[in-house]
Amino acid sequence: MTTQARAHAAARRMRLFERYALLVVWALLIIGFSLALPNSFPRWGNFSILFASYAPAALLALAIIIPLTSGDYDLSVGAVMTLSSCLIAVLNAWAGLPILLCLLLAVLAGVVVGLFHAFFIVYVRIPSLVVTLGSTSLISGVVQWFTKSSTIGGIDNALIMSVVGGRLFGVPYAFYYAFAAVVILWYVFDYTPLGRRLLFVGRGREVARLNGIAVERVRVGALVASSVVASCAGILYAGVLGSADPYSGLNYLLPAFAAAFLGSTTIMPGRFNPWGAMVAVYFLGTGITGLTMLGIPLWVTNVFNGGALILAVTISQLTRGREAPDIG
Amino acid sequence: MTKLRTTTLIAAAAMIVAPTLSLAQDGMARAKERLSAYTSKPEFVAPGEPFDIKQCAAGKKMLSIPNNSANPFLKGIIDRMKTVGDKIGLEVVEWENQGQPSQWVQGFDYAVRDGFDVIDLISGISPDTVEPQIKAANEAGIKVMTSHFYDPSFEPNPLLSSSLPIGFNEIGRILANWITVNTDGKGRVALIVSREVPPTIPLVDGFTEELAENCPDCEIAQEINVGVAEWGTKIQPSVQSALQADPDIDVVVPIYDSMSQFVVPALRLTGKLGQVKVATFNGTPFVLDFIQQGAVSMDIGESLDWIAYATVDGHMRDLCGLPVPDKLNVPFYIFDESNATDAGTPAEFDTGYGDAYVSGFAKLWGLE
Repeated sequence: MTTQARAHAAARRMRLFERYALLVVWALLIIGFSLALPNSFPRWGNFSILFASYAPAALLALAIIIPLTSGDYDLSVGAVMTLSSCLIAVLNAWAGLPILLCLLLAVLAGVVVGLFHAFFIVYVRIPSLVVTLGSTSLISGVVQWFTKSSTIGGIDNALIMSVVGGRLFGVPYAFYYAFAAVVILWYVFDYTPLGRRLLFVGRGREVARLNGIAVERVRVGALVASSVVASCAGILYAGVLGSADPYSGLNYLLPAFAAAFLGSTTIMPGRFNPWGAMVAVYFLGTGITGLTMLGIPLWVTNVFNGGALILAVTISQLTRGREAPDIG
Repeated sequence: MTKLRTTTLIAAAAMIVAPTLSLAQDGMARAKERLSAYTSKPEFVAPGEPFDIKQCAAGKKMLSIPNNSANPFLKGIIDRMKTVGDKIGLEVVEWENQGQPSQWVQGFDYAVRDGFDVIDLISGISPDTVEPQIKAANEAGIKVMTSHFYDPSFEPNPLLSSSLPIGFNEIGRILANWITVNTDGKGRVALIVSREVPPTIPLVDGFTEELAENCPDCEIAQEINVGVAEWGTKIQPSVQSALQADPDIDVVVPIYDSMSQFVVPALRLTGKLGQVKVATFNGTPFVLDFIQQGAVSMDIGESLDWIAYATVDGHMRDLCGLPVPDKLNVPFYIFDESNATDAGTPAEFDTGYGDAYVSGFAKLWGLE
């Protein structure tokens, strides 16, 4: 074998390691917690609950990676999730509208928010960071107004049953909705011209434009899709909780961003990808679950989340020979 | 010989077990007795001597600064204080804010500029964070008071004119006694707390002391400390994990009832809804709805309107140089499945507590 061939083989091995490193660490984490808690951690019931309760977070991470792929930030996904869950609660529990109509209106609200973002980002050309930061505050205020800053219970039981009531292989439906969203997004990203266009636009707008891609239309679509997926996360959130409040959903923004970036170091390293995002959400969820079961104080979970993110991105960067990052 | 030995062994065992049993029985009896004060409709007890409140309040102005105007509990109290103020000739104004200390500081400046007589720091603003402003207000002749913030065991900030504390320690004791009685003295508890919130400490102290005294076989299996900002993301997974790790846990105590929004889904997902008891404090309407639906077992509540009356009473006593009550004159009341519907369907903040205080205060203040 020539030196060049050996170098190629070594590089291939490194790429392979990078691609599956997070999955390996996740498996090690599960083994570690299983050894420490043999009677409670390695049980299917534990994992089924983990899969279901992190489904809204998984959907939110997916909402983030769509505009990130086309080169825009959407910081409003937590607020849109809150808007959606609170709209459902107010319209259903307070105004008495049928639950299906409420869900439809929640998704419609996502479309409206997405178009609002697109107008300012794509046509007025204000940076996406500024627009979505502003709209987060704006949406939060509106939600506090129409919920009277209170928690609303009494959402139709049909929604709760369709999200966490029914189970397949012991896992509540909530997980399968998130799983379906991953499959759809993976197909669109990897097997359709639209997915390629999204990536081209994200990597270089001018080059994409010169190649005949309707850059503006792609960006508008990505922003609307992001808000719609965040609205769907709100539907899942309302279903998991059975209630809605104007504040708690906002705290999902940073963990979802962490998962999106952590996910970009695995499966398809260097690219925001749906499988990676989902693996990252459940990797972080496994850490929190295991640490809590061990009775470790909750501040440790924040250290775990932040440390895992920085470590994973660093390892990914080092294995790629510290080449210029594709992201951020 | 063998028979004698067996008898001796039984007698010895009885001597060891009997005091333990008797200890548990005494504790149970004590818990039942102490709990009974909170299960019947609250009665009005005068917080001090009668006085002419209209004469005291005539032409006076009070600025109420809540911890955060977005909090419906605080907003509800202040709205009711305005109504009480209208009845007695006291102008009550709310300083609307979003929980930022810079906004509280602005409130003090406004009170000094506009010639207010009283500043009421209501439920959550620590006087320690606005000491320079309290000094400035005092120099301008404004009396600064707190309400619904300190526990009676706390030493109030010396710059305050007076304070109307609330018995957080007492709340912890009620929760402990309820668990003792409702688990047959064998409760295994997951306790959810937010230690960054000052009232948490006396509440948890009261809970643990009372549980140790009255329920020797009860145990706090896990204490989960979650910061307020992280309730939405941490409580549910933590409770799920605790229940998975220790399936014998039969009571979850989220000490502030808004935490139950995230406890109930954890119980639902782990299949323990209705099996594990949930005991909590605050009387927030959606939690009283949860009781009606069978998801939460009990909630200790306080009437907002009663708090409003008692706060105005205490502050006016201070303003007119009368002795101020040792604590806010508001009784706690337990809602459970037997009386949760009294709070309305859907539940409301002020419903279900009776109205003994309305005529009680009217008589005390010379309005009748």
